[in-house]
Amino acid sequence: MELYLEQLPQQLVNGLTLGGVYALIAIGYTMVYGILGMLNFAHGEVYMIGGFAGWWVLHLLTRGNELLANAAMVIALMIIAAMAVSGLVGIMAERFAYRPLRNAPRMNLLLSALGVSIFLQNLVLNYQGAKVRSFHIAALIPESLRVIQIGSAVFSFMRILVIVLSFLLMGLLTVMIKKTKVGKAIRATAQDIEAAAFMGIDVDRIVVVVFLIGSALGGAAGTLVGLLFTQVDYYVGFQAGLKGFTAAVLGGIGSVYGAMLGGILLGLTESLAVTFFPSAYKDVVAFAILIIVLIFRPWGLVGEKIPEKV
Amino acid sequence: MKKSFTAVLAVSLVFMVAAMGYSADVKKGIHIGDAGAFTGDAAAPCMEIYNSAQIAVDEWNARGGIQGVKIEHIMGDDAMDPAQGINVAHKFVADELMYGVIGPPMSHIAQATLKIYASADMAQITTSASKPDLTEQGYHNFFRVNARNDAHGWNCALFIKKQLMAKRVAIVNEKVAYCENLAKETINGLKKLGITDIAQETIVGGAKDYSAVLTKVKAFKPDVIFFIATTAPDNAIGVRQTKELGIDAIFFGSEGARDKKDYIQATEGAAEGSYVYHFAPDVFAIPEAANYVETFEAKYGSISGFGPPAYEAMNILLTAVDKAAADGDITRQEVVKYLHETKNYKGILGFPVTFDQKGDLEGGATYFFQVSGNDFKQVAVMTGK
Repeated sequence: MELYLEQLPQQLVNGLTLGGVYALIAIGYTMVYGILGMLNFAHGEVYMIGGFAGWWVLHLLTRGNELLANAAMVIALMIIAAMAVSGLVGIMAERFAYRPLRNAPRMNLLLSALGVSIFLQNLVLNYQGAKVRSFHIAALIPESLRVIQIGSAVFSFMRILVIVLSFLLMGLLTVMIKKTKVGKAIRATAQDIEAAAFMGIDVDRIVVVVFLIGSALGGAAGTLVGLLFTQVDYYVGFQAGLKGFTAAVLGGIGSVYGAMLGGILLGLTESLAVTFFPSAYKDVVAFAILIIVLIFRPWGLVGEKIPEKV
Repeated sequence: MKKSFTAVLAVSLVFMVAAMGYSADVKKGIHIGDAGAFTGDAAAPCMEIYNSAQIAVDEWNARGGIQGVKIEHIMGDDAMDPAQGINVAHKFVADELMYGVIGPPMSHIAQATLKIYASADMAQITTSASKPDLTEQGYHNFFRVNARNDAHGWNCALFIKKQLMAKRVAIVNEKVAYCENLAKETINGLKKLGITDIAQETIVGGAKDYSAVLTKVKAFKPDVIFFIATTAPDNAIGVRQTKELGIDAIFFGSEGARDKKDYIQATEGAAEGSYVYHFAPDVFAIPEAANYVETFEAKYGSISGFGPPAYEAMNILLTAVDKAAADGDITRQEVVKYLHETKNYKGILGFPVTFDQKGDLEGGATYFFQVSGNDFKQVAVMTGK
């Protein structure tokens, strides 16, 4: 028992960082689903491309072990670049692969998304190669700040940064959706896309905005993970996409707050599962919980129970 | 009566065709396959294998090839996925001019494809697949120039006990055939040596985050963490997160970690002082390897440890093909037969290669290295004692 208690604080930190990242990915899935009712399977790839964008910024701004600019500025630039590139990729996918199929059966959209996913993965493989890229983060953080020990838990600087930034981004999104006019339009479109169009909302524009926001957050997650776990390669999108999708379903797909909650819960569950069960069962425990939740709440933790449209 | 006669005729015809199969004039061409994960997380070591084998092929071709025929070296990418490995195997087997294959370098892919290659009598030399089972299933066509996991496991246990002086050992292994098997063999070895305080945990390769598992390992308070993962990037994350979590234990990585760029440089100092084991010795210390090293570095960059056995394997395979081609035509069976006769082949590995009945290397050694600055320093060799 003591053995467990000793690990607990650290596992909470581990789970919270992982959860923050999952949440950011899940938001992209859930927003698109909320509006178009489609699963954007290419979202994992958008996340991966964000990771590469961040890596390039860091790579171009580093000479040997020296940074060419202020560390905080470099990190900010990395995240901004990742959000911009990923956002752009998301918009392009929407324009060229999804919009032409807007009125086609759902299955076609799903297949199109799978196609985009395979296309993006191979595009990156072709132009960036298969080798794992390492983030050289030593120059970003001064030695004294790298690790902070509180009790038995160790906070690395990067973990704190990831937790703070992911919660900050989620907070901004919440404010945007609740308080701004665009947010109101997004909510209206999600509720009923046809009615929203009748009310004078430019639905096409809202869909673009949703893809932009969702993809940008996914890209930010890609770079944050790069800073945290120090690697990116063309294949990371697959696993990340799967986890993000799971988090979205757990929270209730279609609900932004559900995605946030689902992501954080999934991250925490995985860490705690390792603590109490043999580590081989990590994913078994996490997914067993998902199944149990879905048995009792098929609409997810936060999602609304929507009657089937006839 | 007549019916059974027809049946016998048909069966014997089938046998005749099967026995004749794949015999071909040398002049038609000679293909050698190279199966491996040339894309994905293990792309770096696999490309090193391919390029090293290519150097051997280039040298043979520069000398006029085999019977004046240039050898063609064909890549088959499995992306570390057994299903794709099976596709590669079918493709290679269907190529009538292919007389041998280098690889697959990974045990789980080798396992998935053994039967396909064996049923076509295709000679295979793997350069790093070390799961013992592979040569225990009665296939006649499978050879390896690296020691088996049971030899490595026992040698690693000896190293942990004698050199690292450990009393509590944590073993963290990836969930694939090679890693699970090495973990098992090492644990058996440790128990034989009287070390019973052992904790075993598993990870999923490529997940990039092992902090939850390592946090659990930290609570166990081990003297040594033996981290068994296939690729250098996974080992790099292991050692980085071990340091980040402030775990006060010796980090001992696996053979994939012997990679300067993806392990030492990628960890930005975290790997300093850590150990790795490898099936190949320090090639820079072997005079016979000087030419190979020079050619490789000039053409392809730095060598980790995966290249030299591949250069050796290709040379051994081509020697067998050469013997098989002496009479003007080659069959796959002949190549396999001549490989079985390989005895005391002296190449660049620093030890003579002899295959035993099963196709295993006789007298397997394991080499141990410590990270010092930007390089691996060989600190010990274990040969089962």
